[in-house]
Amino acid sequence: MNPVLVVFLYGLITALATGLGALPFVFLRNVSPRAVASANAIAGGLMLGASFGIVAEGTGYGAWQTLVGGLAGVVFILLTQRWVGDEDVPLVAAPAANARRMTLIVIVMTVHSFAEGVAVGVSFGGGATLALAITIAIAVHNVPEGLAISAVLRPRGSTVLACVAWSIFSSLPQPLMAVPAFLFVDAFQKALPYGLGFAAGAMVFMVLEELLPEAYDRASRSRVAILVSITLVAMVLFQQTL
Amino acid sequence: MDLTLVVLLFASLSAATAALGVGPFALNRRVPLTQIGLANGVAAGMMLGAAYGLLLASFARGLTAVAAGALLGILFVAWTHAASGTDELDLNRLEGGSDAYGYQVLLVNSLHSGSEGVAIGVAMAVSQPFGIFMALAIAVHNVPEATVLCAILTARGVRPASAAGLAVAANVSQILLAVVTYAIVRAAPGVLPWALGFAIGGLVQLVMSELLPESYRQTGHRSIALVTIVAMGIVVLLRGVVP
Repeated sequence: MNPVLVVFLYGLITALATGLGALPFVFLRNVSPRAVASANAIAGGLMLGASFGIVAEGTGYGAWQTLVGGLAGVVFILLTQRWVGDEDVPLVAAPAANARRMTLIVIVMTVHSFAEGVAVGVSFGGGATLALAITIAIAVHNVPEGLAISAVLRPRGSTVLACVAWSIFSSLPQPLMAVPAFLFVDAFQKALPYGLGFAAGAMVFMVLEELLPEAYDRASRSRVAILVSITLVAMVLFQQTL
Repeated sequence: MDLTLVVLLFASLSAATAALGVGPFALNRRVPLTQIGLANGVAAGMMLGAAYGLLLASFARGLTAVAAGALLGILFVAWTHAASGTDELDLNRLEGGSDAYGYQVLLVNSLHSGSEGVAIGVAMAVSQPFGIFMALAIAVHNVPEATVLCAILTARGVRPASAAGLAVAANVSQILLAVVTYAIVRAAPGVLPWALGFAIGGLVQLVMSELLPESYRQTGHRSIALVTIVAMGIVVLLRGVVP
């Protein structure tokens, strides 16, 4: 089979795996404020953990480039927040605030997939035998990312099907970016630390500014802290086993 | 120099820097609540950066033991909060509160510095440069943390010189636990992944339960997020420079 097609198909498989992250929410119907806070804390821990892994990879390619990318990621979130509407207006209607946060998480996770797609494509350049191992690793790694997205969407009224769809959507940049990155490894390898830094900066800032404060407002801080800490460490160590 | 003495020296230095946190109060300045939140944000970001460094050091060292150690660290910090009745205590009050409030905050700070001591000790056991990096990161982190403590103590009538002394005293457990952790890991290297995990879990849990929650309310989401991510980025970047 054409190697480009293989890269694309493998990338597509990893994107579809993201949808699996929505499945636990088939059983979650309770959307009390405390459940929303817990879901926020879980999503926050998973995203912080994912960012730690991404930063570790990015600094392997270049620490300063990763930092520059990270700053750009923070600026990107600030601009996106301006674009989807600033929340600091008091008495904002709950549905509007929810829609805003749902839009943000999908944008952030989709943007972060661009960098991951490039990482997949570049590592495919390392040799065809590695391809399957990398694909399985990325696919499994994507499942908790789908969980993070669904943890924000589902308690705010999205159906499980919509959670699956948006989770997969957020990973579609992976097959799309993997192909050009595979074809032009050298050019993309130079851009990789910037992209990884960008993804990490955007995710960490989104967690710190949106997910954590809302979680603290709606649940006891010890509950939030335990959920964030456990999911953060679990995410980092889980990704290391792959 | 004996390596245990190096640990003792740097952990003591780290505890002693807490005295610098009294700076604004020694100059008779009042620190408003919003700036207290920012100081906590800086401390939180540096601590997350330190946890990142420990996580990198834990890779390829028996991930199950690291995970189990992390769970122990998280539960230990959560338990000390619950057992001492401080789990829902507002840690940044400048006014009001019961007579016991000042003592409760001192207790929380003393328990907090224990986990920092484990982090310094275990980092020294990984490598001396990494240990010194960790001790210096915690030392700088201790300054804004002590500023918060001194703000609370001086607001309750404690003189600045006494507040500085109490801030250092609250960090003495850090010296003890750094030396003990280092000695244990040197004697029984199999404990290293457990101790690494314990320090990682403890630090993250401290950030999430003590440093961030009230700061968001006092200073605003965006300022805290920015200060935290910048402080974290600096520590992560410096970690890349250390061998």
